[in-house]
Amino acid sequence: MSIFEYNGSALVAMVGKNCFAIASDRRLGVQLQTIATDFQRIYKIHDKLFIGLSGLATDTQTLHQRLVFRHKLYELREERDMKPETFASLVSAILYEKRFGPYLCQPVIAGLGDDDKPFICTMDSIGAKELAKDFVVSGTASESLYGACEAMFKPDMGPEELFETISQALLSSVDRDCLSGWGGHVYVVTPTEVTERILKGRMD
Amino acid sequence: MTKQQANWSPYDNNGGTCVAVAGADYCVIAADTRMSTGYNILTRDYSKIIKLSDKCVMASSGFQADVRALQKVLASRHLIYQHQHNKQMSCPAMGQLLSNTLYYKRFFPYYSFNVLGGLDNEGKGCVFTYDAVGSYERVGYSSQGSGSTLIMPFLDNQLKSPSPLLLPAKDAVTPLSESEAIDLVKTCFASATERDIYTGDKLEIVVLNADGIRREEMDLRKD
Repeated sequence: MSIFEYNGSALVAMVGKNCFAIASDRRLGVQLQTIATDFQRIYKIHDKLFIGLSGLATDTQTLHQRLVFRHKLYELREERDMKPETFASLVSAILYEKRFGPYLCQPVIAGLGDDDKPFICTMDSIGAKELAKDFVVSGTASESLYGACEAMFKPDMGPEELFETISQALLSSVDRDCLSGWGGHVYVVTPTEVTERILKGRMD
Repeated sequence: MTKQQANWSPYDNNGGTCVAVAGADYCVIAADTRMSTGYNILTRDYSKIIKLSDKCVMASSGFQADVRALQKVLASRHLIYQHQHNKQMSCPAMGQLLSNTLYYKRFFPYYSFNVLGGLDNEGKGCVFTYDAVGSYERVGYSSQGSGSTLIMPFLDNQLKSPSPLLLPAKDAVTPLSESEAIDLVKTCFASATERDIYTGDKLEIVVLNADGIRREEMDLRKD
């Protein structure tokens, strides 16, 4: 079994009209055994920038710590928050530094850029960026998520509709994946507020 | 020098996706018509759906050579059944026959992933879904083949079926009307075609109801 499937994860981000949503499952497992059911894989970098890290949990946490560190240095030097595009390039560069011994995770980055234009992107474990206009997915449930999102997503949704869509897509996808599930975390980010909701799903 | 040897495998994977949905008085069975091997498309117009009897249709993805062999066995077994019983086999009986035929080759399996759709003896829609060695289940809807991982969660979301463990047993048939079910199947394939390279070209839909069998087609992406 691939090391990317060791802990199990499901991650998805979607773009709406002047907003975005990012969601993940809550399971942390070691292969088929569930260790925790309240695991966080989505991290806030600042009010309008989130990163979700799927893959090997230990590497996601290490990578997150390095990213927080680098963002703090940026804040001190520039006296402003990082733009999502800049942050994505930073993540990409940090991942590529370890080209031949990579962090075993696949990031999903979502943020609001200048004039609150939503930005989402994903990359592989060595930092190849993939920008998308509609939605991005990663984790062990990625195939299920592709199917669900492809059928459910429509452009220019408002925050409430976006929340409903991403939640339905996440919950139906993780129910067909053995390695992810146990509810979900959903963040919906608009220019004025961030709403975090915890979903209850099938607990098995 | 390292030892060199020719390698040959009796199996290939020709891809393809099959979906079946059962309703109260109808059954919809659909499959794309692309046949591939690796990154190549062998043909864009190959039917994966076969009529086994007037009330029973099978859609199969996987290795099409094995599928053809399997179809041949089922057809000849059904012919013998007709001679002995002077009637066509019912869909649940065909379901059991398919399971037995697959398990008969347990240790050199037919590399085929089947869904069987039809009408049972009461005229209700029925869907049977299989693995390659004959484990099967009667369900309200199912998807098999290369695009099944993309389609199944969406079908779950739209048609959520009752648990098979419930007592008393609940009917698994979907609450949709026939035309709604056909639209749902079309949506499924349109989505799966976007992300699965083995699904595309054309969608073949077979609808069974009290009036008989009807065939529809829809174009899918060809890239």
